[in-house]
Amino acid sequence: MSHTETEILTPSTTLAPEKHVLEPERSQLGFMRPDHSRSVIMDWLTTVDHKKIGIMYGAIALFFLLVGGVEALIIRTQLAIPENDLISAQRYNQLFTMHGTTMIFLAIMPLNAAFFNFLVPLQIGARDVAFPRINSFSLWAFVAGAIVINFGWVLQALQVMGLFEASGPTAGMTDLAPAMGWFGYAPLTGTNFTGAGTDFWIMGLQILGIASLSAAMNFVVTIVNMRAPGMKMMRMPVFTWMTLVVSLLIVFAFPAITIALGQLMFDRCFGTNFFVVAGGGQPILWQHLFWIFGHPEVYILVLPAMGIISEILPVFSKKPLFGYSIVVFSGAVIGFLGFAVWSHHMFTTGLGKVATAAFSLLTMAIAVPTGVKIFNWVGTLWGGRVRFSAPMIFSLGFVWMFMMGGFSGIMHSSAPADAQQQDSYFVIAHFHYVAIGGIFLAVVAGIYFWLPKMIGKMWKGNLSTWVAIFSTVGLNVTFFPMHFLGLLGMPRRTHTYLEGFGWETYNLVCTIGAYILAFGIFLLVVDIIRCFRKGEPAGNDPWDARTLEWATSSPPKVYNFAKTPIIPARDALWEDKYGPENRKVTYMDDHGHGIHMPSQSWMPFIAALGFIPVGLGMSLMQAGIPYMGYVAIFGLLVIGFGIALWAIEGPGGYHMHPEADAA
Amino acid sequence: MSTFVTKGPVAETQYDLFMLTVWVTLGIFIAVGGAFAFAIIKFRERPNDDRPMPSQGHGNPLVEIGLIGVSILLLVIIAVPTLKGIWYTHDTPEDPESLMGAWYKGEELAEEESENPLIVKVIGYQWWWAFEYPQLGITTANEMVIPAGKVVHLELRSSDVIHSFWLPRIAGKVDLIPGRTNSMWIQAGDNYLRWKEKQGAAGPEDESPLLRAEYATYLEEEIHNYYYGQCAEYCGDSHARMLFRATVVDNEEFAEWVIDERTGHGTPDGRSWDDWYTAYADKPDSLTGDLNEGLKLFMGRGKCATCHVVKGNPRALGVAGPNLTNVGSRMSIAAGWLNHRSEEDGSIDLEKQYDNFYKWIHETDVVKPGNRMWKAGGGGIGELIDENGELALLTEDEIHKLSLYLQSLK
Repeated sequence: MSHTETEILTPSTTLAPEKHVLEPERSQLGFMRPDHSRSVIMDWLTTVDHKKIGIMYGAIALFFLLVGGVEALIIRTQLAIPENDLISAQRYNQLFTMHGTTMIFLAIMPLNAAFFNFLVPLQIGARDVAFPRINSFSLWAFVAGAIVINFGWVLQALQVMGLFEASGPTAGMTDLAPAMGWFGYAPLTGTNFTGAGTDFWIMGLQILGIASLSAAMNFVVTIVNMRAPGMKMMRMPVFTWMTLVVSLLIVFAFPAITIALGQLMFDRCFGTNFFVVAGGGQPILWQHLFWIFGHPEVYILVLPAMGIISEILPVFSKKPLFGYSIVVFSGAVIGFLGFAVWSHHMFTTGLGKVATAAFSLLTMAIAVPTGVKIFNWVGTLWGGRVRFSAPMIFSLGFVWMFMMGGFSGIMHSSAPADAQQQDSYFVIAHFHYVAIGGIFLAVVAGIYFWLPKMIGKMWKGNLSTWVAIFSTVGLNVTFFPMHFLGLLGMPRRTHTYLEGFGWETYNLVCTIGAYILAFGIFLLVVDIIRCFRKGEPAGNDPWDARTLEWATSSPPKVYNFAKTPIIPARDALWEDKYGPENRKVTYMDDHGHGIHMPSQSWMPFIAALGFIPVGLGMSLMQAGIPYMGYVAIFGLLVIGFGIALWAIEGPGGYHMHPEADAA
Repeated sequence: MSTFVTKGPVAETQYDLFMLTVWVTLGIFIAVGGAFAFAIIKFRERPNDDRPMPSQGHGNPLVEIGLIGVSILLLVIIAVPTLKGIWYTHDTPEDPESLMGAWYKGEELAEEESENPLIVKVIGYQWWWAFEYPQLGITTANEMVIPAGKVVHLELRSSDVIHSFWLPRIAGKVDLIPGRTNSMWIQAGDNYLRWKEKQGAAGPEDESPLLRAEYATYLEEEIHNYYYGQCAEYCGDSHARMLFRATVVDNEEFAEWVIDERTGHGTPDGRSWDDWYTAYADKPDSLTGDLNEGLKLFMGRGKCATCHVVKGNPRALGVAGPNLTNVGSRMSIAAGWLNHRSEEDGSIDLEKQYDNFYKWIHETDVVKPGNRMWKAGGGGIGELIDENGELALLTEDEIHKLSLYLQSLK
């Protein structure tokens, strides 16, 4: 019997109580495990702690939020005046492509993942996620994908500095950064129209998909299996519910884009004809596959935001969420219907009357569960005691701005009206109201709400009010005029425009708004840094909150809860504080077993890093650079090697005895 | 390009539906937003608030069901006209007055075509438009001409990537997708019946010439115009510079335009094309004058004829680029990016037109980055002297003469 298994099976009483500060131990492979490393970097690279992983997701996502924001500012600066030649058409096209890709896949999704990771185990009273090493793998695969997808920018920067030239073996490297739009419509993604950037984009997105899929499956298993005793499904916090719905959406939606990207990669690298018209391929197939993924993706982005809002409004109204079960149910219905409306992105592609009518009506139908959520948020405030703390200010802003985005969504659902709006600035206005007014404000609300829990420090001062003012004013000044721009005929994705169509003033106002918004985001970053540096200790429950994560310390210990809580009711902490005696949270006796902790591991990190040579190798091979195919194969070997060792090294683990420590 | 000022039944239907959604959502906004604002103000925490803890109620099923019911009702208000609108804007309507036989004044129309509306094949290229009129045997580029008040059936195709045909004041967009043919219909201005209904005139028997004249005035004053359109689907580098125009004219003008397009152009000095080509082969120096020089460049060093058709000229037959028949009569070149229509009276500003031709030939890659003419080494782009020491580029004087020749194509 191996060392590790013995450890798990042996009653902990035979183990020394100070086991958790033991020196590093060996895995079944004979390698040292990176547990208890004194090196901070090594500790973070190999961590399997959902809280550290969550914080890393958040930090990287905020970085890419700023990158995407800078891309947006350059775009808006270019459009400030007609016939501007600040940047070339090609650069502009790269910028809007990468702005969309970055914001969706590298900013919003990982920001949501940060909240999932940090909060879900705490909210359900678990020690960690179900598969801690897969969690680590998901994070690093995401980082690998982000590197591959942005590699074109790096090359382009080197080119500008004179350190890289597309000649000799790299002569085939044209279009270094992707420039075909974030939904990459075929056949523009074909080899006769775009170059290496498209390959980086395909491979990067494919890797990000693997990261998202593995993370999503992890959360489904965690939420279904790891809930504390008494935490019935209908007692779960709404945010955890939305995590479950979103994870299922990812599991069902991402395979569609995986297949589409695979086909496209085969078209480009191996000469197949899925989307090549001359070979009998069907460009429209890409659109269907993309949007079968792409529309659920919209809800993958927005449902966590709705979950955050559904947590914050009750806390600052001192009332339970109005219509909990119907809010949960409508979240699930939105997720389900999200798979039935993809063709509303394609109303102008010639679907035919019946399909157009069906998708038009289904799109209207999805407004009902969305509306239900808004009614219930109003109902939550009704009769409550509304406190205007920072998280609440952003949440209230969310409801207003999300309503605006929802209304323009209803306008799109009428297919004939949409024929005038599709691919115009009206659409840009619509989805930025949803994305910034909705998702971004909710995420900021979430940061203001949960950062004290994450780092144990409370916000200082009132900078949050200025963040709220600048970001909502900036958002409205930027995007409200775009409704009019679209209806005045300005198409999206145009790097410049002629004078005389009445677009000049609107565009200038939009650009000014973008800078106001950027200043708001700058203040947010300042405020976060201030909180880290100067925050006072937050205490367990600074907001007088309702859910379980506020029952443990801030920041939570590595094992989350010293003893497994037994949940008597929904809003467990609130009932514990203010409810009747029979609704107090009680804790399980561990009979001296202590808490079994997972061991850290290098293997997920190594396996995930293998995606970088796979992604870059495939892309550069397509560009005709010799030996790059072998680099890709090498990457595959690294992945296989990492996973194999991961399987063999054994789960490891050790026990902690928090109460013995305290004593 | 405003979609607010509609000039045709398709755009009008789309606009009406849009306004319906605006009013319905505005109503919802006032009701829900009002309740929300009220709740925020009424239930705010007050200083030294010593009211008892709010009731910890979990919701009210009756309220929920009621609100869901109201939402569905409101959506039905939008859904029914939407369905009507989808059916109306989708199929080309059978309008007797729009059949070719009913209005087309020109000659040479196959008999079976008189039972059809005008058909225009729209073909998208990176980054320009071809407009073919198969019933009339003509092809033009970037500026289509259509009759006022008549249904026109469009067949939409693409030769490379996806484009989208958008003529905002006349109709919303439909995509041009390679490998398939989409269709749509457009109509600039109402037909007589629809117009009359809007006037509120008495029943269908009212066919007074007076009313007909009023209708003609309506077309003349409100519909005959020059409309802006553009590609609405991102299609690569110069997507922003893929515009087009639609000129809406009356039946007589349309017939004249067709004759002009069919006839095409003779030689600059009036001799026959055979004579001109004989001279071009034997004694090119005998062909003098700017226009003849321009034509020689068009056929020779400029290599223009490899890719461009000029109707009449038996050797200018290339189809890779826009058809240049009557290009001098168009109000814009470079797919609507370089304009020379004077704002005052809608005529051509000749000076500007010359500048535009010159600019396009001289720096085609700047006007439209990535375009084929540039990639094929056309125009004034590239090394002035090639590796054999020969003159590879057009000189400024040559571009000047070519521009004058192109201006003369009208």
